[in-house]
Amino acid sequence: MASQGLTYEGCNFFRQRLVLSTLSGKWVKIKNIRSKDDSPGLQDFEASFIRLMDKITNGTRIEINQTGTVLYYQPGLLFGGQVEHECNPQRSIGYYLEALLMLAPFMKKPLRAVLRGVTNDQKDPSVDTLKVTSIPLMKSFGIDGEGLELKIMKRGMPPGGGGEVLFTCPVRRTIRPVQLTDPGKIKRIRGTAYSVRVSPQIANRIVDSARSILNKFIPDIYIYTDHMKGGNAGKSPGFGLALVAESTNGMFLSAELASNPQGQGSPMLPEDLGCNCAKLLLEEVYRGGCVDSTNQSLALLYMTLGQQDVSKLLLGPLSPYTREFLRHIRDFFQIMFKIEVQKQEDESRRGGDKVLMTCMGAGYANISKTLK
Amino acid sequence: MEAKEQKRHQRKQSGPKAERKKSRKQRAPGAEPDEDERRRNPRAFAVQSAVRMAKTFHRAQDLKTKKHHIPLVDRTPLEPPPVVVVVVGPPRVGKSTIIRCLIKNFTRQKLGDICGPVTIVSGKKRRLTFIECGNDINTMIDLAKVADLVLMLIDASFGFEMETFEFLNILQVHGFPRIMGVLTHLDSFKNNKTLRKTKKRLKHRFWTEVYQGAKLFYLSGMVHGEYQAQEVKNLGRFISVMKFRPLVWQTSHPYVVADRMEDLTDPETLRVDPKCDRTVSLYGYLRGTYLKNKGQVHIPGVGDFAVADVSFLPDPCPLPEEQKKRALNQKERLLYAPMAGVGGVVYDKDAVYIDLVSSHVDQPQAEMRPTAELVQSLIGTHATLDAKLAASKVSLFSGAAAMTPGEQQAPLENRVWDPVTQRERRKAVFSDDEEEGDARRGQDEEEKAPRVKRQRLERVEAKPPVEMPAFADSEDDLEMSGDDGEQSEEDEREGAEGGTADSGHCSEEEVDDDDEDEAEDDNEEKQDGKEEEDDEEDDDYDDDEDSDMETEVTAPVNISALRWKEGLAQKASEAFLRQQQAAPNLRKLVYGGVTDDEDADEIGGLFRVSRPEKSRSRRVDAMDCSRFVPDSPHDWDQEEVLNSIRDCFVTGKWEESKDAATLLKEDEELYGDFEDLETGEVHHGKPAKEEDSEEEEVMVKEDAEEEQKKKRLEKKRRLKERFDSEYDDGDATYFDDLKEEMQKQAELNRAEFENIDDEARVQYEGFRPGMYIRMEIPGLPCEFVNNFDPHYPIILGGLGASEGNVGYLQMRLKKHRWHQRILKTRDPLILSLGWRRFQSIPLYHIEDHNGRHRLLKYTPQHMHCGATIWGPITPQGTGFLAVQSVSGTQAGFRIAATGVILDLDKSVTIVKKLKLIGYPYKIFKNTAFIKGMFNTMLEVAKFEGASVRTVSGIRGQIKKALRTPSGAYRATFEDRILMSDIVLLRSWCPVSVPQLYNPVTSLLQPVGQKDSWSGMRTLGQLKRDLGLRNKPNQDSLYKPVVRTKRHFNPLHIPKQLQKALPFKSKPKQDQKKGKTPRHLQRPAVIREPHERKVAALLTALSTVHNYKTKKAKAEQHAKHKEFLKQKEREEMEKLKRQKEARKKMYRIMGQKEKKRERSSLKGSSKDD
Repeated sequence: MASQGLTYEGCNFFRQRLVLSTLSGKWVKIKNIRSKDDSPGLQDFEASFIRLMDKITNGTRIEINQTGTVLYYQPGLLFGGQVEHECNPQRSIGYYLEALLMLAPFMKKPLRAVLRGVTNDQKDPSVDTLKVTSIPLMKSFGIDGEGLELKIMKRGMPPGGGGEVLFTCPVRRTIRPVQLTDPGKIKRIRGTAYSVRVSPQIANRIVDSARSILNKFIPDIYIYTDHMKGGNAGKSPGFGLALVAESTNGMFLSAELASNPQGQGSPMLPEDLGCNCAKLLLEEVYRGGCVDSTNQSLALLYMTLGQQDVSKLLLGPLSPYTREFLRHIRDFFQIMFKIEVQKQEDESRRGGDKVLMTCMGAGYANISKTLK
Repeated sequence: MEAKEQKRHQRKQSGPKAERKKSRKQRAPGAEPDEDERRRNPRAFAVQSAVRMAKTFHRAQDLKTKKHHIPLVDRTPLEPPPVVVVVVGPPRVGKSTIIRCLIKNFTRQKLGDICGPVTIVSGKKRRLTFIECGNDINTMIDLAKVADLVLMLIDASFGFEMETFEFLNILQVHGFPRIMGVLTHLDSFKNNKTLRKTKKRLKHRFWTEVYQGAKLFYLSGMVHGEYQAQEVKNLGRFISVMKFRPLVWQTSHPYVVADRMEDLTDPETLRVDPKCDRTVSLYGYLRGTYLKNKGQVHIPGVGDFAVADVSFLPDPCPLPEEQKKRALNQKERLLYAPMAGVGGVVYDKDAVYIDLVSSHVDQPQAEMRPTAELVQSLIGTHATLDAKLAASKVSLFSGAAAMTPGEQQAPLENRVWDPVTQRERRKAVFSDDEEEGDARRGQDEEEKAPRVKRQRLERVEAKPPVEMPAFADSEDDLEMSGDDGEQSEEDEREGAEGGTADSGHCSEEEVDDDDEDEAEDDNEEKQDGKEEEDDEEDDDYDDDEDSDMETEVTAPVNISALRWKEGLAQKASEAFLRQQQAAPNLRKLVYGGVTDDEDADEIGGLFRVSRPEKSRSRRVDAMDCSRFVPDSPHDWDQEEVLNSIRDCFVTGKWEESKDAATLLKEDEELYGDFEDLETGEVHHGKPAKEEDSEEEEVMVKEDAEEEQKKKRLEKKRRLKERFDSEYDDGDATYFDDLKEEMQKQAELNRAEFENIDDEARVQYEGFRPGMYIRMEIPGLPCEFVNNFDPHYPIILGGLGASEGNVGYLQMRLKKHRWHQRILKTRDPLILSLGWRRFQSIPLYHIEDHNGRHRLLKYTPQHMHCGATIWGPITPQGTGFLAVQSVSGTQAGFRIAATGVILDLDKSVTIVKKLKLIGYPYKIFKNTAFIKGMFNTMLEVAKFEGASVRTVSGIRGQIKKALRTPSGAYRATFEDRILMSDIVLLRSWCPVSVPQLYNPVTSLLQPVGQKDSWSGMRTLGQLKRDLGLRNKPNQDSLYKPVVRTKRHFNPLHIPKQLQKALPFKSKPKQDQKKGKTPRHLQRPAVIREPHERKVAALLTALSTVHNYKTKKAKAEQHAKHKEFLKQKEREEMEKLKRQKEARKKMYRIMGQKEKKRERSSLKGSSKDD
């Protein structure tokens, strides 16, 4: 029996392809991975990602050629259970966690993953952001219960890493359809200013500067300062800020910024960082929607994998990553979204144009979960 | 005394009493008793016992909740597909007859051979598809999975047959569709009483199988070879009002019961290799759920295939448009059965037969119908937009003018006697190749004559001669003389050319796509006009294609190849105009340009366009990151930028409808009028002045009116909601809430894509159930086409995500209680699971208390056990059934086992017990060296610390491996073991499941042998077939037991020990006595005769004496017993007396006591 499969080129959107392949059961072949680069083939962090996929699945077949430029991935069944993974510090844990968030509800056993590595960096969404945005998003799709938790045990900044994150997620058979069309109005802003292996005063400086900007809009702002010490502080110094705005309808928009890694780039002023991060949050608010830009693909995936009902979701402008994700969803699940642009009237002061995404779920059911 | 005749009770027929009684009787039994009854007899309704009442209440609630089903979202389509009515029963029970009668009842048309599914319009809102189920277990399994309603025909004169029960079991496993029993052959009963009894008996048996009260229909007899019209009508009514419950498998998978099949293979490849894989298009109504294009389907009996293309077609059998009248008129009673030859046209695999009604049917109708149907069907075929079809045999009519009844004489007829339908079928033979036709006619007749209900092995070789289509060129004359097969190939090749012309056009579009791809790298914000251009060209192409299609529909095929070139300039200008107007389309941006441009780069298959790869390569190898960092962030220091998001915060301005002030005002309007009871003040809400003023403006502004109306409606709705929430919430249960939620979702599902046209809608939703679709499937084995038999259903079952993969399945299995033999592990079994039928090798196992899955050699008799197979991934909870063979009919009940899928996995956890044995070769006290259990030191190292045991039960532990001999180890035991002991190590060894997945390809079997598929044979069958016998293990045979005499060595006690022993235990003392020495032996006494006499007398005397004493003793004993009894009696007597005395005394004492008490009480009261 020849199962279906897809072939792609290049290393971009690597995680999407593997995740969707695992969920849909179709094999995937990725060719010409950095074939014209100075260092061709898969990089360490991608190899680490593949290893993580191997750990959470059972029966996965992975073939990589000599140079690492061709990857063949035949997915197995999602297994879950206790997983410990040493994430490569080239990318932060968010890189790995984003894929886990997509896969975790469809495991055979509830996932309990301990990921070690860099918790916050400048490239990927940090663990703090995912904790405050993705977890409530999952709850709105019916993935809730006491098992759903994302906990930062230790913080680790690049380049050294040394952070530790615990992610647990319960298992679901089906995902509920959602109608998230009204984002509501932002009622409060929360955030975490963290600092490791630097002066604890830095966090306070960040908070002050961020508040100075956000206070123009809303008084209900509280930014926690999180200074970790000793063993919990990882191997490298650094600081940063993660902000989240909660709306009256329970939607979360987030923004974050981290300091430059030690020895790379010029040192940053905490005040600048706070200001910039607050502006990023305003930018995010301007984009608007029920889901912030980092979680767009997660929400769209859950909509796709829902029961055969109509789901609706209001988003801000689609990020390039999400656009490619939509194409991949069409490749793997043959599901197309109805995309309607909601123009904002000129006099309304509610940010930019929004996009209403509508789709009919694929009727996906968790095939790994054991029936008792 | 004679019994007095009492006056009999006279029931009142009229008057108030009779009225009252009548009214009481008329009241429904479940209705609530009248209020006045409660009032009149309150005690009867009073609470007698709180506990009892609680119990009754509890029970009532239990019963109520038991009735609840888990609410499901109602996903039934607005225009549902025809209901699949499967008619089953053993052979010669009247299946075809009943289908024919029902069709006649609904559509007033007669059908000859029931061949393939027959779809009819049965009412204003219902269509039916009848399928006859043969007696083959493959067919029964396939049809049980798609049936909505099963008409189960039972021969009453014979009773139930095994097939009926087998089919019921199949249904039960694959979700229970509605079942209706139909008893036939009731006219064979001469005796009315036996008829009644038989009916009752069969009914009750049927009820135990289906459910109590299941509908069983009686067809009392035949009139002119048909069932009685009234009975058929009743049956039809029952069918057309029946309701159906959704079945899990059916509602979660799309499926098509194909009613038409066409071979689209390129004739050239067919000519080169007649056995090449075929491309086939299959037609049918889509059922179940939404079907996505380019998915994977399973065709039971053939295998898994990827669908190349799906397209929807106009409904060939649509429901009537307007719904004014009660009944359908003649035109609306449609019938669609391409395989059954309706309207005289029979689509065979490579020919079209025209069936003219024979002479005994009244002529006018015969003239009217076939031609009309013929033309209709031909129009239908054109409407499929299928170029290949146009080139097939039907096209002979398209070139010529439409055939009139007068012209029907033109083709020569070839009469074929069909013994089944008892009429002549005339095959159309055209004059062009008369010779050939003549030559073949004799052969034809020979072969056609035995054409019975089921087509037999040999297939009619001759294909009907065909007129060449209009585009045929001079070469065709040559071709004509050759084989007919080539002709058709030629035709199709021509069609294919048309296709290539199209694809040439396509490539142009793909080049466009390529451009678009590049353009896409730009960010959305920077999206420029170029993007739009491409999109529009895309659009243009679509239109273009459409117009092509249209031309194909209307005009003959030959010109279509060059059509696209017409009016290019005009189209270009149109496109330009349109793109000027169009706005940027996000959908096109996302989905428009993702086609793989690999092929588009090639020009004419030779040259490769070298394009600057810069942008693409950068994109494909870019960093994989989900963060969306704005390229041109706003300047958040400016006030106006800040203002642009002001209203996103709670501190900003709210919308009109949600503003707190508005809400307050609304409340006032709703609840405005109230009277303050304390002060007596009356408050009035604001009078709705707007309405008055509005009435004046009505003429001027109709929009405002509309708006106002909407507003009012909205207000009303909100008011009602509030009212509902206030007053109904007390009663609303969780169940009600859930139901409401589902209802809302269902409404949304229906409404969301309602207004989009089908072309676009299909892309979003997939193909809706109820659509008539055409699926193109490449790579089908040639046997599918060559051995096609329309009597066997072709089902295209859609597969969900990852259901196309294979893995290990763990299931719960139970041997069917009617199957005679238990099942053996590793014997191949044919399973019906999901859509599939396949052979696999199961391993049976049972779970031990500690969660270990232990292998079983056989299935338990009356118990569930686990089974693990290597098979297709199927969702958990899916039922399956197993049979041992699908070929022919065997004695006994064929369904071997049933069960359910529990778990899917890619690894197995079954273990079997493994006992390793070893022998001691050196023993020191409790330590022993054991050899023969392992082969190497490494093996031993793995088992260090494992517990071992000797056969005699001495426990021990493996300590350490020894260097020599290899595999030997040192072990310690709780006691010293013997050299003759055997040491055992009990362990568990994982078992691998054989990876056999062998789909049952019954549809690929030759015609007439479709029920003879046999897969892998079991070991037992193989041995039986090859005449092999198992050589028993020589050691296991019984032999006469030969026991050698055991020789014990003398006990040797060391000197030292002897010395230490106590005196009595010293071996000297213990020595055997041996013979008494001679001098110690006493001489024997020999008595004299006299002495002997004396001795005898003494013995006699003593015997007498003994007897006497014995007797006396017995007497004494009896006496003593008597005495004891007497004594006991006296004792009892005494006790009784004493008891009475005591009683008396106590009574007196009690009285005294009482008296005293009373007196004391009195005294105390006096004290008071």
